[in-house]
Amino acid sequence: MMNKLIFGRYIPGDSFIHTMDPRAKLIASFYFIGIIFLANNWQSYAVLAIFTLFAIFLSKINIRFFIRGIRPLIWLISFTVILQMLFTQGGEIYFKWGIFTVTEFGVVNGLLIFCRFVLIIFMSTLLTLTTPPLDLSDAIEYLMRPLKVVGFPVHEVSLMLSIALRFVPTLMDETEKIMNAQRARGVDFGEGNLIQKMKAVVPLLIPLFVSSFNRAEDLATAMEARGYQGGDGRTKYRVLHWHLKDTIVMVAFVVLTVVLVLVRS
Amino acid sequence: MDIRFEEVDFTYQPNTPFEQRALFDLNLTIADGSYTAIVGHTGSGKSTLLQHLNALVKPTKGSVTIGDRKIVPETNNKNLKPIRKKVGIVFQFPEAQLFEETVARDIAFGPKNFGATGEEGAKLAAEMLDLVGLDSSYLERSPFELSGGQMRRVAIAGVLAMEPEVLVLDEPTAGLDPQGRKEMMEMFQHLHEERGMTIILVTHLMDDVANYADHVIVLEQGKIVKAGSPQEVFQEIDWLKEKQLGVPTAASFAEKLMAKGVTFEQLPLTADALADDLLNGLSKAGEDQ
Repeated sequence: MMNKLIFGRYIPGDSFIHTMDPRAKLIASFYFIGIIFLANNWQSYAVLAIFTLFAIFLSKINIRFFIRGIRPLIWLISFTVILQMLFTQGGEIYFKWGIFTVTEFGVVNGLLIFCRFVLIIFMSTLLTLTTPPLDLSDAIEYLMRPLKVVGFPVHEVSLMLSIALRFVPTLMDETEKIMNAQRARGVDFGEGNLIQKMKAVVPLLIPLFVSSFNRAEDLATAMEARGYQGGDGRTKYRVLHWHLKDTIVMVAFVVLTVVLVLVRS
Repeated sequence: MDIRFEEVDFTYQPNTPFEQRALFDLNLTIADGSYTAIVGHTGSGKSTLLQHLNALVKPTKGSVTIGDRKIVPETNNKNLKPIRKKVGIVFQFPEAQLFEETVARDIAFGPKNFGATGEEGAKLAAEMLDLVGLDSSYLERSPFELSGGQMRRVAIAGVLAMEPEVLVLDEPTAGLDPQGRKEMMEMFQHLHEERGMTIILVTHLMDDVANYADHVIVLEQGKIVKAGSPQEVFQEIDWLKEKQLGVPTAASFAEKLMAKGVTFEQLPLTADALADDLLNGLSKAGEDQ
């Protein structure tokens, strides 16, 4: 079930992208998602697509995995694209039925939105495939630091984030184990009608919650026993380093923005 | 009910970057009524093999025959319940599977899934709780207020309540105190002897293997590297040490005695066998004088 989900997982490697500073990657990904809305014609999308493909090439990860990453989201994408196609007015009318009209603008708009989705998914998949989750949470902590001024609990939030990320695989394993144990006791997951399906989840959810409580308690005890007293006055073991290549990537994004502004209509 | 593996391969997450092959061309037979032990290092594929025993996973190649059902890669996921009723699995740390409000309801959960009525379930719950060594005062308590060892017992009772023909145990005594460990192992032995239950035990404890099992399968990196009776498998102590699998305490003590010049007809595996051999040796020495 979860095996099919590529998005959000990390593939170890030592490519250009892998060794970038996670802060740079995080900023770059968010920036990319921002400037993708600048694109409004085929030329500008072509620029973005080439840029994305080049980034994927730099990561040395097979593009098949990116394409597979789209699969779970394909229904959402198709739904949005079809709505766009049916309800956008203007240009030559290809087809009309009641309130539904398929127009030239609609088709073009739908296709562009499709591209936008694919590019955003590619970029964010690239981020998660090349960045270990803990690096990501370090980067988020660093980038949230200015919020301290307004009293935002940056350390607590980032601690929760890194603990959460750390326990995602553990909880997944646990889920799988409990699921197997209950299946061995005759539970059919995902079979029958909606009510039966929901009922089948109870023997999975309750043990998961209970074990999470136990785990939280054990972890809190272990942390206190090791002298954890909160965020003040702590030093950091993992220190992030900003290299020349990160600056180069930032510059590349500035160039990309300029090119985009020039080619958009 | 025999369980037979024929050229079974298993790969996790095939065709992804996370692809990992866990079982390689396994051939094995677990005979009806036998007590089979599966040993091997962590990551040798024991737990993967175990999930094949009641069709929780299907082989990616080859076939697993459980009783009269043959599981091949193409097998449909429907109608596997009869297999799951016949092959009960006690997973590692089974206390994690408890969820009901009361112990009685949790034990009856399995039987009810296989079509038992409420009454039958309640009767089974009382019976099985007694079998695992807890008295009936526990029936109406919440499983979450029990101690770890008691929870383990309740969870095992929940599997036994399905009245399986084959009982699979994945390190059933891990984390238990010595007394609880002994009681637990004796209860399984009792089920094996009195009710003719086929038992498959996955363990790291070679003493348990020597004491109870009549067939041992040694796994290494997803392959069977040795199989046979405990006597055969434990005969080559050097090989076992090289594989870092451990040797039963009695056998390793006997080996030390052998280094001092004591001879045994056959390497004793259990404390009882060792004591008998030594006693025989002594009385023979007495007669000779």
